[in-house]
Amino acid sequence: MRHVPTLLRRELSAYFLGPMAFLILLAFQVIAWLNFWDLVDALSRPQQSVSGRFDPLNTYISGSIHFWFALLFAIPALTMRLIAEERRSGTIEPLLTVPVTETEVVVSKWLAGVVMYLVLLLPFFVYLPFLYYQGRFHFDTGPVASLAIGLTTLGMMFVSIGVFFSALTKNQIIAAIWTFLVLFLAVLLMLLLHVYAVSQQAAWAEALRFVAVYYQVQEFGLGKLDLRYLTLHLSVTAFMLYLTVKTLQTRRAA
Amino acid sequence: MPVRERRHRMVVPSREPAGLGMGNPRDMIRVERLTKRYGPLKAVDRVSFEVGRGEIVGLLGPNGAGKTTTMRMLTTFLPPTSGRATLAGHDVLDEPLEVRKRVGYLPESVPLYPEMRVREYLTFRAKLKDVPRGRRRAAIDGVIERCRLQDVERRVLGHLSKGYRQRVGLAESMVHDPDILILDEPTAGLDPIQIREVRALIRELGDRHTILLSTHIMSEVEAVCGRLIIIARGRIAEDAPLERLGDEGVIVIEARGPADEMLAALRSAPGVEQVRLSGREDGYAAFEVRARGGADLREALGRRLAEGGWPLRRLDLSRVTLEERFIQAVARADVAAGADADQREAV
Repeated sequence: MRHVPTLLRRELSAYFLGPMAFLILLAFQVIAWLNFWDLVDALSRPQQSVSGRFDPLNTYISGSIHFWFALLFAIPALTMRLIAEERRSGTIEPLLTVPVTETEVVVSKWLAGVVMYLVLLLPFFVYLPFLYYQGRFHFDTGPVASLAIGLTTLGMMFVSIGVFFSALTKNQIIAAIWTFLVLFLAVLLMLLLHVYAVSQQAAWAEALRFVAVYYQVQEFGLGKLDLRYLTLHLSVTAFMLYLTVKTLQTRRAA
Repeated sequence: MPVRERRHRMVVPSREPAGLGMGNPRDMIRVERLTKRYGPLKAVDRVSFEVGRGEIVGLLGPNGAGKTTTMRMLTTFLPPTSGRATLAGHDVLDEPLEVRKRVGYLPESVPLYPEMRVREYLTFRAKLKDVPRGRRRAAIDGVIERCRLQDVERRVLGHLSKGYRQRVGLAESMVHDPDILILDEPTAGLDPIQIREVRALIRELGDRHTILLSTHIMSEVEAVCGRLIIIARGRIAEDAPLERLGDEGVIVIEARGPADEMLAALRSAPGVEQVRLSGREDGYAAFEVRARGGADLREALGRRLAEGGWPLRRLDLSRVTLEERFIQAVARADVAAGADADQREAV
């Protein structure tokens, strides 16, 4: 794993030498700002209009439609390039003929994606201290921490899915579409299926509730750091990275 | 990180333990019955050859003959379907990382990261190739100087001309001072002056490195290589030192006079192996003379014709037979491939 820092540095600098990273960052910054506006607005309303189910942190991030849609587009946009571009330009050949293992390559690319993902989420957390200093409103640190951890492992999982699809093709667009479809399935379709299952009083509703990413993040936002969810995220991540390494070992020239 | 173990060879010849029966231990590259299939297509078909330390070997072949596939198997980029390749004593399937440490590779189209700068790229690659920190700077300075990249070392790779890109690729391939250099068409896309420079560089590198280079330019082989392997249709059609290929000279003669008499006169000259009447044209006859051992018999033959009183119009020793050899070898491979196909159909 000693080559990972070298590879990671190149991946990160490649992100910032193109326009894509800045565009996504800008979009996330705008969304964070809008959500923060909504949050301040909601908090400044008289208390009685706030129902018992109102939870500021989930209003701010995990309950926001903007946030989820931005995430669904941002992750494929961040990961599509990672391996597909090496295949397209042929740089995969010099990359895999130096004394570097496929695992090192895949882990570096995945880490670069995760770092970028965390940078995207940074604006959301940067606003919170302002709320405290300006409005004397302060969040419990527990839910903030559990949401941060949960979103991190979720991002690890999503990025690993993106890296896998990027390894399958030399066409970035195809990689992005596949990644988007899978994430869409995990976020929205699972949610809708769960709602449907509940309405049918089906026995599998509970199972769907467990895998539906939306509910997972909701729970994190409420301060419940459910280890089962973390385990799920990390196992999917490990499995996807394993598949990516195997793909690189067996399908080298695209 | 453990070196991955993969043994999905289809043909594993039973053999003595490694080291015994491995032929010349000085061989840096040993290839035995190396085969690569893409479905029904055999891109490389039972290729075997050895390259000794310090040799410069040219892999010559028409486009699509299997040169690049062979090189990709040797550099561990592609796994062979069957057969075996050993570089500096390490098998490409069993110890890919050891092979990669000892091989410098210039891929055909010289893929580079367009957003990096020349020195930055070389540093990046040197780190990946485990050039120790203390030696890294000197190694990079060294290759920048050897490949004359001083003027562009701060430039972005995506903006470089083809010639500079090629030289960056070459510099990169030798930055870790490997035992073996594998260069896939190192002079493709260069202008004549750059070609001369690169060839001179390769000859110079031949002192310290074992070099396998591919090309489809005949003169390149003559200019640089000590040995030639012609590959056609995935098979080796010819494998010989360059001197031996050059030996076969043909003396071309055109003279005016009775063809039969001249033919007899030429045949009777000492050292002549074969004379062929190759054409007749308003009183002139053309002959092709092959001398034993490729000797230069021009003077003797000229004198003989002069003695007969036949005016001479042309007397040439054409040693440019490499191209003919190449075309013959490729044609033979085509015929063999055709025969193979027929046989298969018959079965």
